[in-house]
Amino acid sequence: MPGVFYNGSMSVSILATKLYIPASRSRIVARPRLIERLNEGLQRPSGVTLISASAGFGKTTLVSEWVNQKTESGTQWPAATRTRARRKDESGAPTFQPSSLSLHPFKVAWLSLDEGDNDLARFLTYLVAALQTIAPSIGAGVQAMLQAPQPPPTEAVLTTLLNELNTTPDDFVLVLDDYHVIEAQPVDQALTFLLDHLPLQMHWVIATREDPPLPLARLRARGQLTELRAVDLRFTSAEAAEFLNQVMGLNLSVEDITALENRTEGWITGLQLAALSMQGRSDTAGFIQAFTGSHRFVLDYLMEEVLQRQPEQVRNFLLETSILDRLSGPLCNAITDQADSKAMLETLERANLFVIPLDDQRQWWRYHHLFAEVLQAHLREAQSDRVSELHQRASIWFEQHDLPADAICHALAAKDFDRAANLIERVWLAMDLSYQSATWLSWVKALPVELIRTRPVMCLGYAWALLNGGELEASETWLRAAERWLEPPENSSAQLVVVDEAQFRSLPAALAGARAYRALAVGDIPGTIGYARQTLALAAEDDQLRRTQAMALLGMAEYANGDLVSAEQSLQAFQANLQQVGDLATALGITFILANIKLAQGRLREAIRDYQQTLQRVNRVTPLIIGVSDFYRGLSELWCEQGDLETAQQHLLIAQKLGEQAALTGWPHRLAVAQARLQEIQGDLAGALAWLDEAERRYVRSPLPDRSIAALKARVWIKQGKLAEAESWARTHGVTPEDALSYLGEFEHLTLARVLIARYKTDRVNNTLTAACRLLARLLQAAEAGRRTGSVIEILTLQALAYHAQDDLTQAFASLERALLLAEPEGYVRIFVDEGEPIRLLILDFRLWIEKQKRDQDQKTNRYVEKLLAAFTQPTARPQLTTDKHQSAMIEPLSERELDVLRLLGTELSGPEIARRLNVSLNTVRTHTKNIYSKLGANNRRVAIRRAEELDLL
Amino acid sequence: MSHPSDSSQPVVYEIRIAGHLSSQWSEWFAGLTVTLDADGTTWLSGPVIDQAALYGLLKKVRDTGLTLIAVNQISSKQEHP
Repeated sequence: MPGVFYNGSMSVSILATKLYIPASRSRIVARPRLIERLNEGLQRPSGVTLISASAGFGKTTLVSEWVNQKTESGTQWPAATRTRARRKDESGAPTFQPSSLSLHPFKVAWLSLDEGDNDLARFLTYLVAALQTIAPSIGAGVQAMLQAPQPPPTEAVLTTLLNELNTTPDDFVLVLDDYHVIEAQPVDQALTFLLDHLPLQMHWVIATREDPPLPLARLRARGQLTELRAVDLRFTSAEAAEFLNQVMGLNLSVEDITALENRTEGWITGLQLAALSMQGRSDTAGFIQAFTGSHRFVLDYLMEEVLQRQPEQVRNFLLETSILDRLSGPLCNAITDQADSKAMLETLERANLFVIPLDDQRQWWRYHHLFAEVLQAHLREAQSDRVSELHQRASIWFEQHDLPADAICHALAAKDFDRAANLIERVWLAMDLSYQSATWLSWVKALPVELIRTRPVMCLGYAWALLNGGELEASETWLRAAERWLEPPENSSAQLVVVDEAQFRSLPAALAGARAYRALAVGDIPGTIGYARQTLALAAEDDQLRRTQAMALLGMAEYANGDLVSAEQSLQAFQANLQQVGDLATALGITFILANIKLAQGRLREAIRDYQQTLQRVNRVTPLIIGVSDFYRGLSELWCEQGDLETAQQHLLIAQKLGEQAALTGWPHRLAVAQARLQEIQGDLAGALAWLDEAERRYVRSPLPDRSIAALKARVWIKQGKLAEAESWARTHGVTPEDALSYLGEFEHLTLARVLIARYKTDRVNNTLTAACRLLARLLQAAEAGRRTGSVIEILTLQALAYHAQDDLTQAFASLERALLLAEPEGYVRIFVDEGEPIRLLILDFRLWIEKQKRDQDQKTNRYVEKLLAAFTQPTARPQLTTDKHQSAMIEPLSERELDVLRLLGTELSGPEIARRLNVSLNTVRTHTKNIYSKLGANNRRVAIRRAEELDLL
Repeated sequence: MSHPSDSSQPVVYEIRIAGHLSSQWSEWFAGLTVTLDADGTTWLSGPVIDQAALYGLLKKVRDTGLTLIAVNQISSKQEHP
């Protein structure tokens, strides 16, 4: 899509070097004791191996050696043991132990992290890219989600990823190297979530300089964690001896080796530098004496030794290129004015001068981090005036080679802000569309404010990035700064800078779009509608991105405004647009909003059908997309409204099991409100209030109109006879019968009408009822004008109750009859029954009345009245929903095939018999079984069947 | 807002690490003064603008493979020996 907006855009591409498994080195100390520990770690189900030690302890070398040994020698997993360990469950029941598992190959994905990975979207993008190196099909769903116009909740993305990982047949390892660069909590939280739901076949190896803020204690307690720390990694005397004498070819005495080992405390980098300092030196004893006798920091002492021993050309090369995170021959040529940098890098690698290849073709290297730090410190001391110039050269080279992120970082390091700003402006849209606006924002924030002001496109990007991060106030400043350039220039001396011409041309539409987004975020509905319409008028015909977004905003605002007919049209157009661009996940998510609109319009049957059709589509496309929990909850609400409490209960249970990871924003409070409703129906009013309190605690504002939870509580108080509390609610929320009406306030006003009617029944003060009747008449008019039949039915019912309370039967029957006529075709039940005894008495009177009338057309009404009266006497005791909020098992829908296998698992058939029955291989059955167990959180056949029964899957 | 690190005045910190450090690290450590102690340790000391800057320094200590012994906040009058 970015191509639509500007040509020659700078791509934000995947760096293959980050996924490269460091190659084996020929001269290296074998470390069987550590390799063995790593192998043991693999035997832990869902295991995590943490390698935590400071720089220079050989973490990366150890892991890459382990990986390379395994893959080269074809050594297999110790899988048989692992399978037994895994199946040692409480029941002791014999479960499947496929012998073929032991033949599974050893697969490893590698990801070297850097500072940029603190941007969660980028981290996930690379995580998926790394996993795709071992299973190319992984991550298709996640990538689709990351590319969706509205970023879905992180847990939904992670759940999709876990589902995909669960389907991989082979066990595999994912190595995260340099995890200490991660400082962003969202990344830590994402990793914690993944670790908590780890598929059995997955193992993590995390190398870091500091213990990461992950649930290590929990992993330890569950026996999932293997740890290697500095004390394990440092060279033992034997290893030091082997390294110095065999690998480095020195001929040192035991005393010398012990002295060096003591001085460096087994620190591997220290020993390596010491060895380099001694190579080709005749007086090694003198060196060791001087070194061990010195108090100086090992690294300082030895680096100086090593650097001094290099020819000047090499020394300069090392210093000048130390500013680079990664090195290539051409890049180093550009930085150093030397012509043979590639040869130099190869020489350095051969000389063990801490140059690490990043690919097999020897195109990219990097310095050992520690080495680079010391070189940079030397560079700053020796040639501090040159540092900027070197960064600038690097920036130019990276720009010429279409690597904008590096080009920007070096331009900022060079403090060449104009250059940085040009690059940053050009890359904005591509990064915004790929959810890297956090990274982009961090770059812009490094620029001087005056410079940003002269660039309208950058001002707009800045405003958008702030809006994305929820910084509404700050975004206003930059919207204004951008808008200034749309007005005729008053001050001709003002300097305008535009790099991205196409973006500048579409600035008016883009600004209107940003304003519409901001208006909705601050709850300014008319503003949203105005700006969204303006966007649609200004945006070019082919500007799909802006048009789609504007349509969505317009639809949401119209919905909030109570203009449901327009809202439905806008949102349907939005949905169609999403499907056209292939964003099925978001498109299906719109169903939730459309169904809510239909509910308000009294189109229950249509809403039910929409949800059901969407769920069928979801099950065909992918097992789990965001919104599915809400679809089930929405269905539950609709079944409940139609009086089918059993089905409502069951659907809410499914929704609850699917949980937040499959839900839209604001799920916890919607679930709590749904629980409250069912409690209330069961007659447990205190329980309902407790759930509503929970809903209040967990409330998250969304752009969608939500029912006021405080008003819901007031309705329960009325039922409890706690009128004073209900009246206090109206006072504190400033809800009065004289208020101007709005759709957003409708629910509160209907609550107030109930308060007034209830008060009249205790006090018999006519004014109260008059106020209620007047309010209801106004509400009715508004609801009818907005064609909100659902509201109309509720209002008519309340009117009937009000008239009935003052014994005006003619009016009461008239209102009730109108309500019944509207409600009957859609099968409404609870809208009446929820009003309790007063409405039951009214309906009984009404039945007598129509019996006396003996009108022919009343057949249908008669049947409906009988149905409603029966609903009052329905037994209300229901099985309790589980209130376990800490369930860790992820339950997601099973595929059709998995359901087939599951049903057969419920029989006496053995694995091979099941395979024959389904006409598939035994391995296929095992894969399905494994997936079923993992989805149901079961560890054996019996538990899986019990869970399946609970979930009504059989 | 009474926490010293939140005030606009930088606070003087001293960071003690194992081994004697060369003076070239002074600029690397944001201009902190490098003082060598006879007991084989080094003091890095100077004004640190806020907590974020302090953590940045500690991260440099970590990334340089240095052994951290102590971090002290000292009042501006008090000088370490």
